[in-house]
Amino acid sequence: MQRAAHTAVCVVAPAMIRRCLKCRVPLQVNSRAYSVVPTPRDSEEKDMLDRILRVDHAGEYGANRIYAGQMAVLGRSRTGPLIQQMWDQEKKHLQKFNEILAENRVRPTALLPFWNVAGFVLGASTALLGKEGAMACTVAVEESISEHYNSQIRALMEKDPERYTELLQVIKEFRDEEMEHHDTGLEHDAETVPGYWLLKNAIQLGCRAAIYVSERV
Amino acid sequence: MAALLRGVRAGRALRGLSSGKTGPDRLCGAVVAAPTATTPQCSSLSRGFHRAAPRLQDDFKSDKPPPSSSSTTFHEHYQAHSAEQDNTATASHEGAAAEQASRPNTSYQDQSGEQGEEYETEEQLQARILTAALEFVPLHGWSMEAIASGAETLGLSSASTGMFNNGAGDLVLHFITQCNSQLTEILAEQHKQVQLGQAEPKATADFLRDAVETRLRMYIPYIESWPQAMSILLLPHNIPDSLKHLSTLVDDIWYYAGDRSTDMNWYTKRAALTGIYNTTELVMLQDSSPDFEDTWNFLDNRIQDVVNMASTAKQVQSTGEAVVQGLMGAAFTLKNLTGLNQRR
Repeated sequence: MQRAAHTAVCVVAPAMIRRCLKCRVPLQVNSRAYSVVPTPRDSEEKDMLDRILRVDHAGEYGANRIYAGQMAVLGRSRTGPLIQQMWDQEKKHLQKFNEILAENRVRPTALLPFWNVAGFVLGASTALLGKEGAMACTVAVEESISEHYNSQIRALMEKDPERYTELLQVIKEFRDEEMEHHDTGLEHDAETVPGYWLLKNAIQLGCRAAIYVSERV
Repeated sequence: MAALLRGVRAGRALRGLSSGKTGPDRLCGAVVAAPTATTPQCSSLSRGFHRAAPRLQDDFKSDKPPPSSSSTTFHEHYQAHSAEQDNTATASHEGAAAEQASRPNTSYQDQSGEQGEEYETEEQLQARILTAALEFVPLHGWSMEAIASGAETLGLSSASTGMFNNGAGDLVLHFITQCNSQLTEILAEQHKQVQLGQAEPKATADFLRDAVETRLRMYIPYIESWPQAMSILLLPHNIPDSLKHLSTLVDDIWYYAGDRSTDMNWYTKRAALTGIYNTTELVMLQDSSPDFEDTWNFLDNRIQDVVNMASTAKQVQSTGEAVVQGLMGAAFTLKNLTGLNQRR
């Protein structure tokens, strides 16, 4: 019977008007007529899509905080503009996922405050190792994220490529940009940091754990 | 014999269709479903025409249950917006609604349509029995007796209560689900009105108050026995289900109130509303004022508390930021004064 409520909601879900509480003027969340994510046909599909969107949102949020940490330390150095540019792209990704989550009534992960702090600390501490440390962190994180997006793309393609075309497009676009960041990091002497192999694997282990947890909590 | 009667009736309807005078009215009545608030009658009429012809032919050909079941099919429609696909005129209420609801194909149930309308799933049958059982709750309380009496009104033997493993829990959970769906319908309707510009959007506090009040008012007919229902919901094996229903309810109310947050606010808002809802429900149980005025006043005050707390939190945050900036400025000044800032 919970389905009845969900069904009733899904019928009106395309009506997306966010009321600005202060000015009481209805603001359109997005002006597109279609939604990136198809309306789920059953609760299984809804769960799967929820998990995918939740963990992607958490990932972009974490990446945002990592770059913020790096900027806090290296913001005024020579690599400042480069990191700022990568950060701006991450901000765009996060905004896109915020929109998608709101449209599809997906619960954000409850660990967001934790990723907030952890991301900032990771970014700041690797940046304290210098520009190479920050780049190494970027390489590690972006590699993890790209791997993760790739596995999501594979999963969605296996299920039904036509149904998820728009979502796949979005994820592919983001994955390409993350790969760009990864390559940028490599170009800027990420591998010259002492303990590169250790640092990279430690960060990637952390990312994998974060992804696992964010899918579920 | 029954088939013959049905054939005659269908034949008359078909003749009405061809004559075009009295036909449209009867067809309109038979085919157009209840919740067509947005679609004007004329377009649904034309759609009804197009749908009615093949449907009537099917009716003429296949063996259909007697039309007295249309009253119960309304209950099913009432409970599950998207019923299974059907192609008959007798279950036309459901049919038109299911087609409208299924255009974005949002049904969680199987849409294969192979089952046909004379078979209903066990779930639907259980739902019908439980809905009928609600009438007997004031008499028997939330118990198997009520379910048995409900089954009897539908013409089934009282032994069909064997279907319900959870007994009274099933009845209470079914009632809760029904109330939640009703509330969602009302909120969706209001939302549509606002979108169409026919109504003013309410302030969040007012919206929450109205939504919670509407929802709690659904308990009024059963208020005498509601403590029993609440204690049933608190049984360990019912807790997961009742929490799930509660969280769905709160999520729906916030969604229609306009909440689109994707950070911790998502959790804090829902936690706050859950607290408000539960405490107000408890107050309602022991409220003896006329039309539960005390309860609604309590609700008002709690919502006001939450609103105040939210604005206080915002103030604390901005004050904190200002203080931090002040401290940073002071530290920077000190560094300058002590000469630590100079690079040599």
